[in-house]
Amino acid sequence: MFTTHGRIFAFNQERDAILQEVVQRRLVAHGRNPDRLRLDLNDAAFTEITRIEEAGQTGGKAFGHWRDLYRRIGRLDATGLETELARLVWHYARDVVGNFDPRVYGFATRVVPPALSFLWRPQFNWSRLLNLSTARERIRVQGPIDRIRALANQGTLILVPTHLSNLDSLAIGFSLLTQDLPPFTYGAGKNLFFNPFISYFMHNLGAYRVDRRLRFSLYKEVLKTYSQILIERGYHSLFFPGGTRSRSGEVERRLKLGLLGTAYSAATRRLQAGASRPGIWIVPCTLNYQIVLEAETLIEDQLKREGQHRYIIEDDESSRIGRVFSYGRQVMNLDASMVVQFGEPMDLWGHQVDCEGNSHDGHGRRVDTRAYLCRRGQPCEDTQRDHEYTEELGRSIVDAFHRNTIATVTQVVAHAVWRLLEARFPGADLYGLLRLGQGAVLSEAQVLEAVEHHRACLHRIAEAGGIGLGHRIRTGTAEALLAAALASFGMYHQRAALARSGPDLMVDDPKLLLYYRNRLTGHALDPLPEALRRTVAEEVKIGT
Amino acid sequence: MGREPVAVVGGGSWGTAIAHLLGREDRPVRIWVRNSDLARQVNEERRNPKYLPEASLGAGVQASADLSEVLAPCRTIFVVVPSKGLRDVARAMAGHVDGDRILIHATKGLEGEGCTRMSEVLREETTCRRIGVLSGPNLAGEIATGHPAATVIASRYAEVVEVGREALVGPRFRVYASRDVVGTEWGGVLKNVVAIAAGVSHGLGFGMNTMAMLVTRGLAEMTRFGLAEGAEIETFQGLSGVGDLVATAFSPLSRNYRVGVALAQGQSLETITQGRCQVAEGVRTTQLVHARAGQMGIYMPIVEAVHRLLFEGISPEAALADLMAINRNPYEAESVYSRVG
Repeated sequence: MFTTHGRIFAFNQERDAILQEVVQRRLVAHGRNPDRLRLDLNDAAFTEITRIEEAGQTGGKAFGHWRDLYRRIGRLDATGLETELARLVWHYARDVVGNFDPRVYGFATRVVPPALSFLWRPQFNWSRLLNLSTARERIRVQGPIDRIRALANQGTLILVPTHLSNLDSLAIGFSLLTQDLPPFTYGAGKNLFFNPFISYFMHNLGAYRVDRRLRFSLYKEVLKTYSQILIERGYHSLFFPGGTRSRSGEVERRLKLGLLGTAYSAATRRLQAGASRPGIWIVPCTLNYQIVLEAETLIEDQLKREGQHRYIIEDDESSRIGRVFSYGRQVMNLDASMVVQFGEPMDLWGHQVDCEGNSHDGHGRRVDTRAYLCRRGQPCEDTQRDHEYTEELGRSIVDAFHRNTIATVTQVVAHAVWRLLEARFPGADLYGLLRLGQGAVLSEAQVLEAVEHHRACLHRIAEAGGIGLGHRIRTGTAEALLAAALASFGMYHQRAALARSGPDLMVDDPKLLLYYRNRLTGHALDPLPEALRRTVAEEVKIGT
Repeated sequence: MGREPVAVVGGGSWGTAIAHLLGREDRPVRIWVRNSDLARQVNEERRNPKYLPEASLGAGVQASADLSEVLAPCRTIFVVVPSKGLRDVARAMAGHVDGDRILIHATKGLEGEGCTRMSEVLREETTCRRIGVLSGPNLAGEIATGHPAATVIASRYAEVVEVGREALVGPRFRVYASRDVVGTEWGGVLKNVVAIAAGVSHGLGFGMNTMAMLVTRGLAEMTRFGLAEGAEIETFQGLSGVGDLVATAFSPLSRNYRVGVALAQGQSLETITQGRCQVAEGVRTTQLVHARAGQMGIYMPIVEAVHRLLFEGISPEAALADLMAINRNPYEAESVYSRVG
């Protein structure tokens, strides 16, 4: 019934060889340069000691070990340094490397989707439990799937999705499964492995472990090398290029490109090994929710840490089973409550790729991608060059994210209402709007006019290919959009972003309003008509 | 590696000067010129009789009007065609160049209302990524005569700068490296407007104080504009910024400067442009930059004055009076970041 193709089914046979290769390459990369070795070991030891001290875990074995190493580094000779490095690389490589068990995969693919259906459809129903149709109705998967499937058989795919929710991985896994696409390997935060049940599945389904607390270069290089070798050997890989869930709700604009950059060295090595073309393709993908499970926590975090360092959220709605269940019961009961949109596959230089894996530029001309990795016809590594390629690819991915965003009713209505608040409180900054917007009452006519303005504007952008539209926005009137959005806002969150208040509408949770509105900020929607703005500014109604 | 030919696309005076530099010690150079008669003449006389007769071309320099023949053996390609023709030439090149090639353009100018930079045109029309720009105070005639000079090659790709530098550098020519493509390109574009102002000042009989004021404050507004476009401030302090500005604003040979002088003598823009086959780049640039600065809200009083002079029919004296009258603030900050120039 499901895919049993894909390189990953052979992972366990290759596992040790891959591990060995990671270590080998790291050692070669460090060369026999004692200064370089000492610097890297010092960096690792110092960073780890500081981190453990800050975490208040100085009693552990690791701390003593690092302290000991830190003291000895200065006295070690070249051989001693190399031994220490090799030991650490081995240690971290083993920690990172995943596992893939076809039996677990088979089990998961049979059990998980019905379980999801169950979660998403509260009426207990055995016939439903045994097929996928329910989840299929709830999660719409669209995009050039045939082409992606064809490419999966000819090379390595790198799937780069937007990231909003911890349900993303589930939704992607589900989409791959139902579309008969092979499983992907991906790096998952080590914190997700703490739960032994989840850990067992993740570990045996191709996930490798990324410890986001470790910030020294030696660890990051091990990770990158591992990822590179997987791509090189043809394992389809998944990266969330946003790095973490979008806190603001915006479509990712700045990407973390470290792991993505490994694709170029992987491609170069493939060419050097005799391949006729890089054979690595990028598949952008957007996850579009009407209602986001963790919206409240995420926007709260965004506002708290605006402009500051982001922390790893360890406790949010996704870790509270009651919230997840309530989300499943209520939100997923909506028809097409979520759209997984696969974008056009592209090569590492952002060109479109056809079913045969040939690249075409914007003028429709065939592009010889091999040439990008060559100097005088010979494939050669060039870190600086690849860094620039990666930056450019990042921009292409951001564009693709925006083009493939599917606007939903909640976003459009939130955007319209936020604009009305801006008009109502001219000159107020973000925090001012959040404060003043609380309890603001708006007349339905004005909201409808603003929604209609946004609807028309989105239609124009969609026609030019700049965004996709959810079913309701494509066909519905402003009234229908508003009704649907109010229903969605009211069904799951603690407080509604926008709710009815007598004949008018009231902003009950401006933060949520901001969160849903943010999804469309990258699309430069036209400002509200001048006349509407003026009316709103003049007539100030005080909320209840 | 020394024997790999380098291509020059464009046989105008600047293209010829670059071929002159590249062809030292008999290194192989292929130069593309539009006209096959001119190509033959170049090959026979070992110089370009039409555009830069004073530049001797090395024994390895070979001219041709066949683009594919010129490009086929060359990995490194200098593109030196007027800004108006660059897109067509790039389009014609596209079928002959792949991602392994290095393109370095030496064209100072913009395309169209959108102010598309030349490197962007190359990027749009070809599949090349390793693209760079060469720009600096390089008057072709002086290069041909062998006066010491220096230039900048800017590219995001280190390899482009290395390869370009190695091909060009010589006992009388220095090449500096930069990563700031945006700033390097805008420097070469914006200085033309200031050069017109400098010409006007000279034509009105003013001396070095006025000149220094125009050049210095001109640099400040060039920098302000460049920063808004994403350039780096250092670039404007370098050869492709202040260097090129000084050479252009103080050189009576520069076309833009001569436009300024003619304007000061009371000639209209139509009469000035009628007499020439080559319109000074600065005239068009003034129009484009003026519009863009207006949209972006960038304060550029010298561009404003030149624009009024060229397109709004005010007299040179009135334009100058405008420029001096802006100084109304009790404290006038000199910083380029200041909106009150």
